[in-house]
Amino acid sequence: MDAVTFAWLVLAFPLAGSILISLSFKLLPRRAAGYIGTAAIAIAFGFAVAALIGLLSHPVEERSLNGALYDYAAVAGIDVELSILVDPLSVFMCLIVTGVSTLIHLYSLAYMTSDRGYNRFFAYLNFFVFSMLLLILAGNLVLLIVGWAFVGFASYALISFWYRRTTATAAGMKAFVINVVGDIGLVLAAFLILREIGVLDLTEIFEKAPEDLSVNSGVAVAIGLLLLVGAFAKSAQIPLHTWLADAMEGPTPVSALIHAATMVTAGVYLIARFWPIFELAPTAADIAAFTGLATLLFAGTVALVVTDLKRVIAYSTISQIGYMVVGVSIGAYTAGLFHLMTHAFFKALLFMAAGSVIAAMAAVQDLDKMGGFRKALRFTGPMLVIGALALAAFPGTSGFFSKDEILVFAEARGGMYMIFAIGGYIGALMTAVYSFRIVYRVLSGPPCKEAAELEQGHLAHGEPVNPKTGETEDTDVGFPGSEHWIAERARPMRVAMSILAFLALFAGLVQVPGVTHVIDSFLEPVFAESKLAEDYHPTVAAEWRGLAIGAVISILGILLARYLWVTNPALPARLAKRFRRIHDFCANAWYFDKLIDVLVVRPVQAFGDKIADSFVENKVIGTFAAIATGTVRGAGAAVRISQSGYLRAYAMVLLLGLIGLGIYFLIAGGGA
Amino acid sequence: MTFNQPTIDYAGLSPLIALVATLCVVIIASIIPRVGRFSVALLTLIGFATTAGLTIWQWGASENLVSNALRIDDIGSMAILIALLAAAGTVLLSLREPAAYTAGHGAYYALLIGSVMGMVVLAQSINLISFFVGLELLSIPLYVLCGAAVRRKESLESGLKYLIVGSLGSATLLYGFALIYGATGSTNFGVIAEELTSAQLASDTLVLAGVAMAVVGIAFKLSLAPFHQWAPDVYEGAPTPITAFMAVATKAVVFVAFARLLEQGLGELSGIWSDALAVLAVISIVIGNVGAIGQRSIKRLLGYSGIAQGGYILVGLVVVSTEGAGAMIFYLAVYALANLAVFAPLVARERESGFGDDVNGIAGIGRTRPWLAWPMTIGVLSMIGLPGTAGFIGKLFLIQAAVDGDYTWLAVVVVIGTVVSLGYYLRLLSAIWMEPQPDAPNTQSPMPVIAGGAPEADASAGGREEVPPGSSRCVLVVGTGVICAAATVLLGIYPEQLIQWATEAGEAITRAVGL
Repeated sequence: MDAVTFAWLVLAFPLAGSILISLSFKLLPRRAAGYIGTAAIAIAFGFAVAALIGLLSHPVEERSLNGALYDYAAVAGIDVELSILVDPLSVFMCLIVTGVSTLIHLYSLAYMTSDRGYNRFFAYLNFFVFSMLLLILAGNLVLLIVGWAFVGFASYALISFWYRRTTATAAGMKAFVINVVGDIGLVLAAFLILREIGVLDLTEIFEKAPEDLSVNSGVAVAIGLLLLVGAFAKSAQIPLHTWLADAMEGPTPVSALIHAATMVTAGVYLIARFWPIFELAPTAADIAAFTGLATLLFAGTVALVVTDLKRVIAYSTISQIGYMVVGVSIGAYTAGLFHLMTHAFFKALLFMAAGSVIAAMAAVQDLDKMGGFRKALRFTGPMLVIGALALAAFPGTSGFFSKDEILVFAEARGGMYMIFAIGGYIGALMTAVYSFRIVYRVLSGPPCKEAAELEQGHLAHGEPVNPKTGETEDTDVGFPGSEHWIAERARPMRVAMSILAFLALFAGLVQVPGVTHVIDSFLEPVFAESKLAEDYHPTVAAEWRGLAIGAVISILGILLARYLWVTNPALPARLAKRFRRIHDFCANAWYFDKLIDVLVVRPVQAFGDKIADSFVENKVIGTFAAIATGTVRGAGAAVRISQSGYLRAYAMVLLLGLIGLGIYFLIAGGGA
Repeated sequence: MTFNQPTIDYAGLSPLIALVATLCVVIIASIIPRVGRFSVALLTLIGFATTAGLTIWQWGASENLVSNALRIDDIGSMAILIALLAAAGTVLLSLREPAAYTAGHGAYYALLIGSVMGMVVLAQSINLISFFVGLELLSIPLYVLCGAAVRRKESLESGLKYLIVGSLGSATLLYGFALIYGATGSTNFGVIAEELTSAQLASDTLVLAGVAMAVVGIAFKLSLAPFHQWAPDVYEGAPTPITAFMAVATKAVVFVAFARLLEQGLGELSGIWSDALAVLAVISIVIGNVGAIGQRSIKRLLGYSGIAQGGYILVGLVVVSTEGAGAMIFYLAVYALANLAVFAPLVARERESGFGDDVNGIAGIGRTRPWLAWPMTIGVLSMIGLPGTAGFIGKLFLIQAAVDGDYTWLAVVVVIGTVVSLGYYLRLLSAIWMEPQPDAPNTQSPMPVIAGGAPEADASAGGREEVPPGSSRCVLVVGTGVICAAATVLLGIYPEQLIQWATEAGEAITRAVGL
């Protein structure tokens, strides 16, 4: 079989899994949903590997395969085929998505055990994976938009998974609304592309773009910016990032899968996929790069001070995606995608470890209440450390190689782009500090109440309360189950975490400067014609210099974190008091939520309130509506009245109709 | 005088022959005492399946049969297949139908087969005589079937009304045919077409009056407004499976025959009749959609919605193009599936809820009877034309055909009509999913006496079986709905094959029929 066939199968299994689970929930035992879901994704991963092998059997310059299943509709010059594009980029993404998803499904198998929405959870999760794969494999813009919107919906459904929590449903709605803003950007970009280039097929767009769009023309930049609106909304970049922190209301495996490893990298994928457009619109690319830089610095400062464990990791995700966006926007495509891959590994691992910690804390997520889990969590602890090491880009770990590759490329491109290198290193210092802030706050220090109990073998089981508001929870369906599962006591969780830990530590070795270049050479055909990727090649010496700087910064950051939270645990609080304003500013995420509230929400609401009670609404629009419905109603009544039931009346109408039609025919025919 | 024996193409006639054989077998089988109703139904289904197989076997043929009385081609075959689908669905829905008990299963199915025979003749006819014979053969069994539930007053009224009004329509049609024959001197479509061109008959009064009357007669059978008024009454009164059959099969076949008559016979006059049809389409869309609002009886509602749908389908004829004909046949096919998907749950609910076909009967079934609720929902969504269902593609093609044929304004009317139609279609959906199930009313006796008959006569009503209790949970009825709904979704996602068939059928209509 061909790579394309395998790619179709990659798509088919998660969809089949989702449908099967949703239809069979009454027939099969509860646990079956988890196994079906996990197996579906694992099989999809197997086929992704098969697609990879199939693709590698093609010569390098022919590794872009189009597979059309059938024409859905060909109307008014728009040809919408149900087609997929199988090339190194899409296969690369498929491997990451299916691979990480398999592990997260495995983890959820145990972690979600006591949740009464177990089947629903796996049905959603499989649907999400299907949507994400559809987005990745889409061969034309229409299908891409479908996948894009499905992903947004899946994310909404999973954030609001515990629908008894008002905070969770609010977070779901927020995520959905912001995602729809991005959808609109993407749809408008598609319209512009159709108008300017005249096709929707991705390969054709990229072929024809250089002819139809002149470099940095207004239209090209507009297309680029609209694509960016879509990308920023999905990838949580300023100013559309506010939903991601709230999305942590969802179950932790969801945070790991959607809000760290896969969905949020869709924007990065989009920019990388549309590189021909962005190289034709350098202004848009620069805007993207600066936004990425701003995001990575901003999110770093926030991650330093917030105290909710999952939110710290969420902000670190926003920050890390900032790196990727910088990478794919300045031309370091493979480096950005390489970071996307390593990030998926270590961030999923971090979330899984965090999930285990939260379970040990009986659903408490506040870092201030944690501490001293070193002995209690013999397995989770080391996993947390490995994740943090990779995140902090400790020498030798995967994050070490991938992050620095982006920054070295920025340096090699020189000029204005030096800013990205410098900003990136500052961000790296913050990254190292906050990642070890998590480690030290959770593991070191005197054991907290839960940790002490766990050392005695008792897993804490607190009252079910909402971790955000502290309210007691409704314990019906749609609430996290009463039992908690930690990795120490669940083999599937341990297996998933061990594999990810291995990858987080060693996946970087596929791309050691001057030694290996697996990712580079695999993705090379996709970006073969890119000028940027061709013009700027950091030398091996420069890369090692960059790695050296990165290593120093990383170790420095970890030592600083140790000084702050181990050697001198009172200091952070004192600093927070001293620099109260800065602390509050960061802890409130730079008041972006407030800003959006003031700039968008309130004016819109005020406008709505005003218009709802105005002359225009009441009289003008109201009258129109009344006339429209009145006409239809009246006509309906007239028709019903004319329906007397008497045959003689019907015959009369027939006769009148015949006379009318006859006269028409005679007049029209006679005139002809 | 010499008599030339016509060459008979038995292969081409084989669908018709199969139906005749089925009819005989069913009638004979039904008088054998030990043959039950299931066997009769099974025989009927086998006959339909054979006919369908023979029709498919003849796919792609394009020739005249029986001295140019019939013509076998793709559009005719397509119409026959739709009719057979509907007929098979009707058989499945009728298994426990009270009307079938009162009429006797053998008679009931035999009438159905007779009607289908008329449809085969009509769909293939390229001659005024065979056209009329086909139409009558189709209609007369239906008159009887509408009144087959003799214990219900409404059914009798429906049958009688249909008979009288239908005869009126047939008479008008026959007058029209007579005038056309008088002017052109032939009953053959091909000769008529040639005469109209060569003898400059396009503005001949006789021809024009004839065409006007023929259009009225056919519009009548199609229940296009303003000749629609019988439809809601008859639909409501007839036994529900028969209503489904009329709504689907009759419409498909008569539309195709209409297209044949107009394009293959009267193509020369297309400039005149297409505008007249456009007006009929608009009136049908308006009256159908507006009339359906506020109906409580679902069958009546579907009757009105069928008028509006007929208006949409007529658009395919108005534009006089292969594209339009293809769009028409595609829409007819998906309309058939959607209707069966709606009617099957309706039949089931009618028997179990005690509300008859009132909207209350389907209220709340989303919770209690998901296997009925989903097909109905999908069918309704397809009639609306929601993306993901076959109805969406159907409407898309009709609108595209209208725009390509310079009838953009008509496309706009179709869209506005669709918007108005949400007013009553969504009401059904809200009843299914959002309303609580009402308590069953204190029903009158489930089996009313024969209208006007003495109770004693009723008790000894031919010793026929009574409807067995628990008849509501019929797997076959549910299955019919589920299969049609599944096909509707499948064709909404993967329409390519049906589009191809419809396109081939559309091309068939523009071929001259020859002499």
